[in-house]
Amino acid sequence: MSVTIRRLEEFDEVANFDCGDEPLNNYLKRHAWTNQQKVSIGVTYIAVDESAPHSVLGYFTLATSSVPRDRFPKKFVRGLPPYDLPLILLARLAVDERFIGRGLGHALISEALKITVRVADEVGCRCIVTDAYPDKTGWYARYGFIPVEEAAVSGPQKMFLDVRTIRRALSFESSPEERE
Amino acid sequence: MPPTVKAKTKQVAQPHTKPHASSKKIHKTKFQADLAPSEDHMVRALKAELQMSSNSDFLTDALTLFRWAVSERKRGHRIVSESASGERKVLLFPRLERVAPEITLPHVDIRWTDKELGSLAELVSGQPAEPTEALVRAMRR
Repeated sequence: MSVTIRRLEEFDEVANFDCGDEPLNNYLKRHAWTNQQKVSIGVTYIAVDESAPHSVLGYFTLATSSVPRDRFPKKFVRGLPPYDLPLILLARLAVDERFIGRGLGHALISEALKITVRVADEVGCRCIVTDAYPDKTGWYARYGFIPVEEAAVSGPQKMFLDVRTIRRALSFESSPEERE
Repeated sequence: MPPTVKAKTKQVAQPHTKPHASSKKIHKTKFQADLAPSEDHMVRALKAELQMSSNSDFLTDALTLFRWAVSERKRGHRIVSESASGERKVLLFPRLERVAPEITLPHVDIRWTDKELGSLAELVSGQPAEPTEALVRAMRR
């Protein structure tokens, strides 16, 4: 399987996508293209195989956001830069059930984090956040995402990853042996 | 082989009617291009198709079109051709892609509770965590 990750296009085949979660299936099938192209509230990237270049195997959606500085509790404001906090929202990430276990989730998160670094380089952003399902927080934690506030009892858990941590990971891109 | 283009700039004194305009000169640049036979044929065919007689007009129109394409891609717009039946093709021209903004992501509002904002502020103002092994692998991919 030779996987490519690219932006969603209008005529990509999304009808057969099934990640086992109806809201995530529904988003891709009914809203992703409209949100990307018409109302511009999220850009969706899809994983496709070379042999079927329009058939979606997995996807993620990104958007930018910011937190106005005056919304932070006063006791924390002193430690923050005197500006609103720009960030990237990893709004959705899903893999078709038929392709689970082939490293697609890893490929998708990898691309999402690389885009995050590029955005940080181009226009500035401080972190990436996501709303993870409770049973997926462990998966995100493997990549260094930290729960924001205490773990949610039910419902999605906001998770945070600092752009500085991602940049540091980039500096480890080649191991000492590989560098020699 | 790509065409070779030589540019030479010269000052041209303009015919004048007013005495004080005599000092004004317009800079004109002369282009000389060494075209491969196939490219020369292509230029001649295009000129004939567009009913153009001068190379200068051809270059001016080509430049106008190219400048428009560059400005569209710079704004992040895609250049699309649409057939009568609605079939669309997107122009992918490597040189134009160099001027396109790398990433254009829309902006959304996120709902935060006060507790979450407190936690977020602590995370942001603290030292960044060390990357995990999976993160290093993800960035290496």
